Amino acid sequence: MKKSREFNDILDECLERLLVKGGTIEECLASYPEQAVELEPLLQAAVAARKASVIQPRPEFRAKARYQFHSALQAMEPKKSRPFFGWQRRWVTAVTIVLVLLLAGGGTVAAASSSMPDGTLYPVKLATEQVWLALTPSSLGKAKVLTKLADRRVTEIIYMANEGNAQQIDVITQRLDKHLVMLVGLTSALKAPQVLAPSEGAEGGRDVFGGANSQAELRIMIARYAINHPAALRNALKTAPESAKPALRRAIAVSVAGYEEALMALD
Amino acid sequence: MQDEENLVRRAQQRDQKAFAQLYERYFDKIYRYVVLRIGNKTEAEDVTQQVFLNALQSISSFRWKGVPFSAWLFRIAHNQVVDYLRKKTRQATESLDESLVISKSDPQLVVEQRLDIEQLMLATKQLTKAQQEVIALRFVSELSTAQVAKVMGKSEGAVKALQHSAIVALRKALSVG
Repeated sequence: MKKSREFNDILDECLERLLVKGGTIEECLASYPEQAVELEPLLQAAVAARKASVIQPRPEFRAKARYQFHSALQAMEPKKSRPFFGWQRRWVTAVTIVLVLLLAGGGTVAAASSSMPDGTLYPVKLATEQVWLALTPSSLGKAKVLTKLADRRVTEIIYMANEGNAQQIDVITQRLDKHLVMLVGLTSALKAPQVLAPSEGAEGGRDVFGGANSQAELRIMIARYAINHPAALRNALKTAPESAKPALRRAIAVSVAGYEEALMALD
Repeated sequence: MQDEENLVRRAQQRDQKAFAQLYERYFDKIYRYVVLRIGNKTEAEDVTQQVFLNALQSISSFRWKGVPFSAWLFRIAHNQVVDYLRKKTRQATESLDESLVISKSDPQLVVEQRLDIEQLMLATKQLTKAQQEVIALRFVSELSTAQVAKVMGKSEGAVKALQHSAIVALRKALSVG
């Protein structure tokens, strides 16, 4: 018994040398000449087993898995130490923004909705969108809002491409990416009701179980944009100044990958 | 280890960057473990993805009390594999897909390695579940004996003994095959 325990320790030590420290079978055998006959075939078998460590995930799977994992990460809210106050603060923020917007006047808000990133009302447009998203209660509703926001971002990217402003294109592309990542997270949740956050309650349930038509509408909307948005961006690429083209290509890549993921998540 | 402890603590606070780093650190190792245990690339991809989504959902329950994060993560992978094997009605016939990616650029070497790995995967199927587990964890995912012991809930001595019997059985299966 003691002898076999000793041998197990020697074998383990040799394996550690072989697998971790880059040693050779011959070195191990030289260290333990008495056990060499028994050790050698076992170490050779271990080396054969180690060959499987060269297996790697397919690059497409790696990319897809990473994207989905990051979508799931994005969909998770930062941990709150005081959930009640955290919830309250979110609503206070939303209500404050609404009040500011109301004070600014309905006309201002309406004008802001069509403003472009270089316009003075653009921050009002972004703030309004935040409120729109925050006050939409269900996952399905939020997904539809995000799709519409993505449409706005694409319009803005095309506008900035015509202006030749590569820096702004990158900034808006990041916003577009954020919308699409959130969209993928939400569509995944719509497909798998068990991963919905408990806080979604009845609203989330209605979307999943009672909103088949709405979900179909969302799918049609995403499918349409999956074709139209990259096409519109590619079209803009033809006439855009050279300086804006690399940024525009990045925007095309983001829109193609984002919609593809969203559609896959829904299917 | 200190670095990993710090990363895990940040990930528990929903720090996305920290969790992403842990994900990149363990993705290949978990995938290799799952492929060897399941023997089917497509299914292994689904299971691997599920392992990380489960980890994401339950990381707040992880406690750093003598159990390294790697052992906790591989434990999730182990449970996921066991769950998959229980549900599976028949053994996958495509023991090793042709599309399995090998990390070498020389085509001749890739073919040789593919044959070696195919042979290895067939051989491991003749081992007991515990022996398969120790081979996958120790030689394919490259965990230390101490880490394997934590994953399998055994003492290091028991893992060393199991490792010995697994290599003997594997050698026998390889020479027969």
